[in-house]
Amino acid sequence: MNQVNESVTDKVESIFEGLDIIIKVKDLHTYFYTDIGIARALNGVSFEIPRGKVMGVVGESGCGKSVTALSIMRMVTKPGKIVKGDIKYFRQIQNNGAKGVEEINLTDLPDMGPEMRRIRGAQMSMIFQEPMTSLNPSFSIGDQIMEAILLHQKVDKVEAEKRAVEILDGVGMSNPTQVIKRYPHELSGGMRQRAMISLALSCTPAVLFADEPTTALDVTTEAQILDLMRDLQQRINMSIIFITHNLGVVAQMCDYVTVMYLGRVVEQATIDDTFYNPQHPYTSSLLRSIPHVGSGQKERLQPIRGVVPDPYSKIKGCPFHPRCNQAMRGICDVKVPGLSTVGKSHTVRCFLHSDVVEEETYDL
Amino acid sequence: MTFEIPSHITRDELLLEVRNLKKHFPIRKGVIRRSTGSVKAVDGVNLYVKKGETLGLVGESGCGKTTTGRTIIRLLDPTDGEIHFNDPIQGWVNLAPLERKELIPMRPHMQIIFQDPFSSLDPRMTVKRIVAEPLLINKMASGSELQDRVAELLKIVGMRPEYMSRYPHAFSGGQRQRIGIARALALNPKLIVCDEPVSALDVSIQAQVLNLLEDLQQDLNLTYIFVAHDLSVVEHISDRVAVMYVGMLVEQAPTDKLYYTPKHPYTEALMAAVPKPDPRKRDRPIKLPGEVANPANPPSGCYFHPRCRYAKEICSVERPPLLEVEPDHFAACHFSKELNLRGVVALNQ
Repeated sequence: MNQVNESVTDKVESIFEGLDIIIKVKDLHTYFYTDIGIARALNGVSFEIPRGKVMGVVGESGCGKSVTALSIMRMVTKPGKIVKGDIKYFRQIQNNGAKGVEEINLTDLPDMGPEMRRIRGAQMSMIFQEPMTSLNPSFSIGDQIMEAILLHQKVDKVEAEKRAVEILDGVGMSNPTQVIKRYPHELSGGMRQRAMISLALSCTPAVLFADEPTTALDVTTEAQILDLMRDLQQRINMSIIFITHNLGVVAQMCDYVTVMYLGRVVEQATIDDTFYNPQHPYTSSLLRSIPHVGSGQKERLQPIRGVVPDPYSKIKGCPFHPRCNQAMRGICDVKVPGLSTVGKSHTVRCFLHSDVVEEETYDL
Repeated sequence: MTFEIPSHITRDELLLEVRNLKKHFPIRKGVIRRSTGSVKAVDGVNLYVKKGETLGLVGESGCGKTTTGRTIIRLLDPTDGEIHFNDPIQGWVNLAPLERKELIPMRPHMQIIFQDPFSSLDPRMTVKRIVAEPLLINKMASGSELQDRVAELLKIVGMRPEYMSRYPHAFSGGQRQRIGIARALALNPKLIVCDEPVSALDVSIQAQVLNLLEDLQQDLNLTYIFVAHDLSVVEHISDRVAVMYVGMLVEQAPTDKLYYTPKHPYTEALMAAVPKPDPRKRDRPIKLPGEVANPANPPSGCYFHPRCRYAKEICSVERPPLLEVEPDHFAACHFSKELNLRGVVALNQ
């Protein structure tokens, strides 16, 4: 990285060919210290998020998808704690007309400090799965959107209300001037999710985390919301981190995919490589286990054997080896595979592809 | 013109025939709980199920698919209509007018698997008691025979019989769903209503449970009514599929016909909305304006007409009946013969 000024760089190196990155996560460990033991939710997560693209994060429940998003947003609360690792955010800045990139290490900032609060909600925001539980039932939709605008932008209430209406209009909400006076329970599931998206987009963030944003919705509503998100993403060129376990949604929405298993990233690749040239046995097993709509075939599904182990357990070697069909005795059950590059914008953690070994970091 | 079962299907081949089934829930208001209207959850459903087949029942939330499933097996009392069930001993029986007591001998033939394996198992009962309960109630087994039968049932669903003295909390979601399936199988039923049996499970576990359901159907000659909203799961498991919209069936056909050559605009919109797991096949969904109609106050004529892009004048006036528009293919649309609708694009083409 060629440094300009102290922490301002023009371009950040990336595993994605020809792309700028906006967030770089390195060796992130987030643990939850509970009464029954330490839950190692993230156990050395490293990945990069390209700027202005949609990155899918997939994996079974409990693999750490949501905790990754919460860690980057610095919203992990007690008994959870980021115990190790770096999260670098490359903020685009304009200095006397010249564009540059400022590097901010989010792990250095106090999670409730003023810098983090300026970033959270304004430059990074999040859409949650269940809009009913993530909107406040005792404030109107308008109040909730205006709160975010008033907090982060220097505008008065009248102007904030005007912007709230514009944003709601922008997400395809019919009759936005009426909707701002309504409370969450008065809206349908699809409308609530649109309100949630408006709230997240109210300050045009550079990074949007969407945590299973359509899982609670019907297919027709889901299709509308996905269509809307794709439009908005292109309009304001934001980076979306799309967390889901629905591979259909990933195929339709994402440019790049990060596959996670048990608190680690096992594969990162372009959308096409993920579906047509998956390299990690876990990725290919996931793809084989789902029924493909319109395939017209009545073939048996091939489930992944066993279940995701609980995060309290310690597994020696590659965390996937007990469920892997291609596990090699004496290798996969002994050492942890390190990250290796297997092609253009394609990295994988598996001994089938390289001998890179990673140090065990269990005893933090 | 009314709904008629295709003439090539004999009465012996059928297990279930439902005619004009209605289930209305009263809306009560005020101090004296006066009925001020009703939610027409199921409003004139006609369908048939052949022995040994799987009928998928799909639709958006609130369309009445779960209520239909539950009313068919008489967990709910129908408001109107007929439910003819081909009992292996008595022959054809209409379940709709039967009283509670008269239903008791029919119950073992019809079972249900619920959606949420966390709330459908009593946390204070051991697995043994959960699975044994139907056997005890129907006095089918006791003592060591009971123990053996429970062990056998657990083995059938791929669980170790040694676990039978544990409580539900000790099991994962997939395992709990297996316990629920064992309970449903306890009385050797003919018909099982599977009410969203895999939607609460992780993708990899879904595949395990779907495979199990398919194996059991083969081995035990079961007939399923598979209620779900996930169209890829329904396509995988169903022989025929019925699509519901606001309490009524809009289409009923063999799976491939329904998915590739739908005859109702609502089915077309549903098919277009399914996100296809192939990044090389990206298409934009058909816009469905507005929201699902309110079943307490549905629109006139065809319930789908306010959202339908092919709607003409007649659609807002006359409600189209469910008719056979092609062999074995039923649709409730005035224009199903004229319209050339798009199905799911076959991925292997």
